[in-house]
Amino acid sequence: MEALLKILAELRPDVDFEGNQELVDSGELDSFDIVSLVGELCDEYDIEIGADDIVPENFNSVEAIWALVQKLQED
Amino acid sequence: MAFTSFRFIVFLVLAAAAYFLTPKRCRWVTLFVANYVFYFISGGKIFIYLLATTITTYLATVKIGDMAAKNKIAFNEAKANLDKEGKKAWKAAFAKKKRRILIPTLLFNFGILAVLKYSGFVTSNLNALFAKIGIGAELPVFKFLLPLGISFYTFQSMGYLIDVYREKQEPEKNFFKLALFISFFPQIVQGPISRFGTLAEQLFRANEFSYTRVKYGVQLMLWGAFKKMVIADRAAVLVDNAFGFPETFGGTYVAVAALVYAIQIYGDFSGGIDIATGAAQIFGVTLDKNFERPYLATSIPDYWRRWHMTLGAWFRDYVFYPLSLSKFFMKLGKKCRNILGNYIGKLIPVLIPQFIIFFLIGIWHGAEWKYIAFGCYNGTLIVLGILFEQPLQKLAKKLGIRMNCLSWRIFQVLRTLVLVAIGKIITRAPGVSAAVYMIRSMVENWDMDVLTNGGLLTMGLDGKDLWVLFLSCLVLLGVSLMQESGIKIRETLAKQNLYFRWVIYLGAVFSLILFGVYGLNYNAADFIYRGF
Repeated sequence: MEALLKILAELRPDVDFEGNQELVDSGELDSFDIVSLVGELCDEYDIEIGADDIVPENFNSVEAIWALVQKLQED
Repeated sequence: MAFTSFRFIVFLVLAAAAYFLTPKRCRWVTLFVANYVFYFISGGKIFIYLLATTITTYLATVKIGDMAAKNKIAFNEAKANLDKEGKKAWKAAFAKKKRRILIPTLLFNFGILAVLKYSGFVTSNLNALFAKIGIGAELPVFKFLLPLGISFYTFQSMGYLIDVYREKQEPEKNFFKLALFISFFPQIVQGPISRFGTLAEQLFRANEFSYTRVKYGVQLMLWGAFKKMVIADRAAVLVDNAFGFPETFGGTYVAVAALVYAIQIYGDFSGGIDIATGAAQIFGVTLDKNFERPYLATSIPDYWRRWHMTLGAWFRDYVFYPLSLSKFFMKLGKKCRNILGNYIGKLIPVLIPQFIIFFLIGIWHGAEWKYIAFGCYNGTLIVLGILFEQPLQKLAKKLGIRMNCLSWRIFQVLRTLVLVAIGKIITRAPGVSAAVYMIRSMVENWDMDVLTNGGLLTMGLDGKDLWVLFLSCLVLLGVSLMQESGIKIRETLAKQNLYFRWVIYLGAVFSLILFGVYGLNYNAADFIYRGF
């Protein structure tokens, strides 16, 4: 989780991620951020994130992103 | 049947009456029948194509749904004996099976669109190429009649197919319900392009009659008609003149024409969408938002997030993500990081797919070189914007430019508007070379006197029409600024007293009657996006 927070902070230092439940719905993370984030997550956690996984529910909060990472690690 | 025609109003009233008089259980059937009646009398006599798309989408999605259900059972039984790699291989094998259904269906439906819309363009260009390099062969150039709304219903149904393939959407087992989703009459002509998950349930349920909803729907339709008939169709007179005679109207006239065309196409397209959304609202259906005050955008990416939003979202979800997250682009990104450094390398999986998307959006608009140029122009602006975003922000910091103030916002909006207007010149000019000529003329022969010496009166609109256009645009700008600051116009109006409300309603109706531009048989001009 700490590594995830670090990736997010480096990606968008201007966004307050903690407690934010609408990162995608509010437009704070756009499609460019998502693609960059996915690249970082795949490298960091050795997972594969496909276009099928790119739904707002998976990226709207730090917790949701973390849940996605854990789910893909288990699969 | 144009949305601003008397026939459409009669059709809408009859369809709504039939819908609400039908027993609740069968209301979706009435809506389905209304859709096909609308399609038929709107010139969609060649509805074999709509049927072909509906049938192939139905068969493919039901088949994929069956396969997914069987696979789920088999996987649950086998997964105890599978390790991580085994599970991965299972999923990959099943995805491959599903693709055997998905890809032919996509090829068939986009193939119809490609043949009907682009084959004439491709063959005529090939013939020109053959002639140039001395090959005697000449391919036959076919010009097909485009079925009504083909771009919109093809994108909508193929989006649904991909959602079912991704197992994000359960397939609809009732063929007629699927046909209703693909053919909903307010949106089939020019969008918005809806998703099954948000639209279908609203169409299938029995919506109750609601006076408030009908009132809001009619208000939105009136506003849309105002944008279309008072603003867009009036602006069209000036635009047609200026772009029809680029040699006569050079220099500053080009800038005026580009600005007025930007207003025209916004009034035309968003007006049509407002009428569609209002009509859907009468039936209790909320359509997706397609515009969010695009000319108040602060950058080109922001503009594309606000203009034709459902098309942008379609390309983002079904083309951009699959492309940029594909193994190829991920690997390319990693390689580029080693060669070009971290900053550029990370951007590669974004930049190339982004350029491809804008190229596709360009050709989506039509089979002409100018639309390809328009796509490349926007793609280039987006790519440059991404590449130089950080360096420019650093430079602004160094120069001590404050970026969180109104003056900077106004600068950003005007800068974006200029770039957008140049793009509009490309699409509205008769061809690419005419567009280049007009843009050059605008830069080289700039003369502000045109604005004050009566030159504007030579562009096709007299003084009275120019004033009506100007004041109507001020109303549009005022409403846009109110919406941008979060004011809900219809809800605010509903809270005012009765007399004030009726002054506004009657004012809106009379402004349409008095200032609306009518063509033959008192019908407004056709909507531009209907042709896309």
